[in-house]
Amino acid sequence: MSLLELKNVSKIYGDLKALDNVSLHVDQGEWVAIMGPSGSGKSTMMNIIGCMDKPTQGEVLLDGVDISRESSKNLTDIRRDKIGLIFQQFHMVNYLTAVENVMVSQYYHSMPDEKEALEALERVGLRERARHLPSQLSGGEQQRVCVARALINHPELILADEPTGNLDEANENIVLDLFAQLHREGTTLIVVTHDPEVAEAAQRTIVLEHGKVAREVINENFGKGSLQ
Amino acid sequence: MTKRRMFFRMITASLLRRRSRMLIALLSIGIGATILAGLVTIYVDVPRQMGAQFRSYGANMLLLPRDDAVLDSDHLAEALKSIPPEELIGAAPYRYVRLDMTSRQQSFTAAGTDFSQVPKTSPYFSVEGTYPEKNREILVGKSIADTIGVKVGSTMELTYQPAASSEELTPEESRQPGADLSGSAEGFGGGMVYVSFRLDDRGAIASLEVDVSTQTPEYGGRTAEDEAFLSRFRGKTLPLAVGEDVDALSGATVTSEAIVTAINTARKTEAAVKPQTMTFTVTGILTTGGEEEGYVFLSLQDMQSLTGSPRLDVAELSVSAGADQLESYADTMTRGSDTVQARLVKRVTRSEASVLEKLTALVFLVTLVVLLLTMICVSTTMMAVVSERRREIGLRKALGASDRSIRQEFLGEGLFLGLLGGIMGAVLGFVFAQVVSVHVFGSPITFQPLLLPVTMIVSMAIAALSCLLPIKRAVAIDPAIVLKGE
Ligand SMILES: Nc1ncnc2c1ncn2[C@@H]1O[C@H](COP(=O)(O)OP(=O)(O)OP(=O)(O)O)[C@@H](O)[C@H]1O
Ligand SMILES: [Mg+2]
Repeated sequence: MSLLELKNVSKIYGDLKALDNVSLHVDQGEWVAIMGPSGSGKSTMMNIIGCMDKPTQGEVLLDGVDISRESSKNLTDIRRDKIGLIFQQFHMVNYLTAVENVMVSQYYHSMPDEKEALEALERVGLRERARHLPSQLSGGEQQRVCVARALINHPELILADEPTGNLDEANENIVLDLFAQLHREGTTLIVVTHDPEVAEAAQRTIVLEHGKVAREVINENFGKGSLQ
Repeated sequence: MTKRRMFFRMITASLLRRRSRMLIALLSIGIGATILAGLVTIYVDVPRQMGAQFRSYGANMLLLPRDDAVLDSDHLAEALKSIPPEELIGAAPYRYVRLDMTSRQQSFTAAGTDFSQVPKTSPYFSVEGTYPEKNREILVGKSIADTIGVKVGSTMELTYQPAASSEELTPEESRQPGADLSGSAEGFGGGMVYVSFRLDDRGAIASLEVDVSTQTPEYGGRTAEDEAFLSRFRGKTLPLAVGEDVDALSGATVTSEAIVTAINTARKTEAAVKPQTMTFTVTGILTTGGEEEGYVFLSLQDMQSLTGSPRLDVAELSVSAGADQLESYADTMTRGSDTVQARLVKRVTRSEASVLEKLTALVFLVTLVVLLLTMICVSTTMMAVVSERRREIGLRKALGASDRSIRQEFLGEGLFLGLLGGIMGAVLGFVFAQVVSVHVFGSPITFQPLLLPVTMIVSMAIAALSCLLPIKRAVAIDPAIVLKGE
């Protein structure tokens, strides 16, 4: 069953086509990697899928709803209810502790629940560091807090824009492990990456070039890798 | 945990863990609130303070006898009950009569008063020596003292001549056949000339005695001994005209004319009151820069002993109250008594009111400017805070914060700052007002309990207003900046 479907989506800035007639569909529970050179439109696509931007042309169906036509208020609601976001820079509210950062996501979604937030941190291996401020956490730890924050509301779709771009090998593996777990639980994952290893962890890789889908690669080895 | 608790946890964390920036905002609100609270305190207290100051310009209310009524100390005491004791600075009764200083052939206006009250109603009176404390002591106006050359410690013999006081029957009414009449008039050099005579059954002068002891013996003094001169008055009916009924004694024209005037204005002699003489000791010389320098002041008891009457002519009141309040006191007193009528000294109350008005306008203006400056300062700081927190705001939005949530959070932080600044301002403002009050007015200020909530509410309102523009900025931030990695 398709969760996400892009039909002839274009995003045009002046005479620059950041996305050029992209069509693509992602099934429920699928784990998709998006690759491509810098400036190829990956972040632009993530912004549109993440309900933070609208395409210039085309349709974007998320769970059957055309989000390219929604008002920005409705987009906020959809994003809050369905999407978990993970960014390349570990964006945390710098004056809130790890657990509070997770709770911020709950706060906007429904009800803050400290116990649940602590469990989410437990899951990313940071139960002991729950009361630390971002400045007291390493980059890898911060990114794991962000993963905990993205999964706390049980979103249908997790969008990650270069989640491992600034991480070392060990932390990259921890994050990929978490993605694998989420995948097994049925969460749909779309991960933008430059790193072929990260792309190989996904079931399918879509390569963008100059705002167009250049090719798609099915990962034959999915489920057989060391990460499983 | 409820949403509300998380809300407070977030805004307090924002204020407590991001101290430096918030400290500036807090400081500007706090200082604004301090000045505001200080000014308001002074403003509320100023009428009282200024009232006390104004009272140094003298009485602002007069109590007078109504029409023909006789006013005495008891009436005065009764009337004063209408004024709260804490507002009544002083009430000085006065009884004015002319007293003669026989030895100097002079007569002066003498005021009987209560010396304990005079310094309160007339603080500008300057006394060389002391105010009288006992009976038979007297305060002498500077110009009198200069004229007759008295000093502190000198004695003065003063006489009260009852006929000189115009009471009872008019001269015309007094001219009944068989009546005993007496009168007085000012003779040469201000000295008094006294006459007493009887009318026969036709109403003509039967017998005449004159007292010209204040006049120069070689000139006016001769009139009393000149039988030929005096005999010309007998058999004449009143009023007399100089040059027609009688001729002036040569070399004593002024005294002769005074005798005629004294006869024409003579009234029935009151059997009870005879001329009274008392000797006083001068305790002080009074300088006022006004007509009081031509008066002598003695105690009310002495005045009553001299005149045989407890009546008062006027009481000067100094009341520490606003113009409207004074008006209402005056009304109450006038309405509540049939002997007393109260009047405001308009010149004083009006200038009080106008100074207060100007002061009010000034305080209002300064307050407005301070509030405006505070608003600009807080607004600028919050603006800087918003741009500093662009990424955080974008992140919150990306996490699903609605525009409303963003607004609430910033407003919450602003109100919280306003609350803290308000508390700080109320406390510091009171201290500030206290310092100003002690230095400028020389008296401490009373704490206004309402000050705390008012200052808190105003500074919260100011903080909220200052946040409007920054909040607009915050709401406009695009969540996509987070993904772009700005
Ligand atoms: N707001 C914008 N206005 C104008 N041009 C933009 C805007 N946002 C993106 N672009 C352009 O669109 C193109 C695609 O940008 P995008 O951020 O999607 O690239 P990307 O694939 O994410 O690159 P990278 O790997 O460096 O993150 C770029 O050429 C970029 O300059
Ligand atoms: Mg990008």
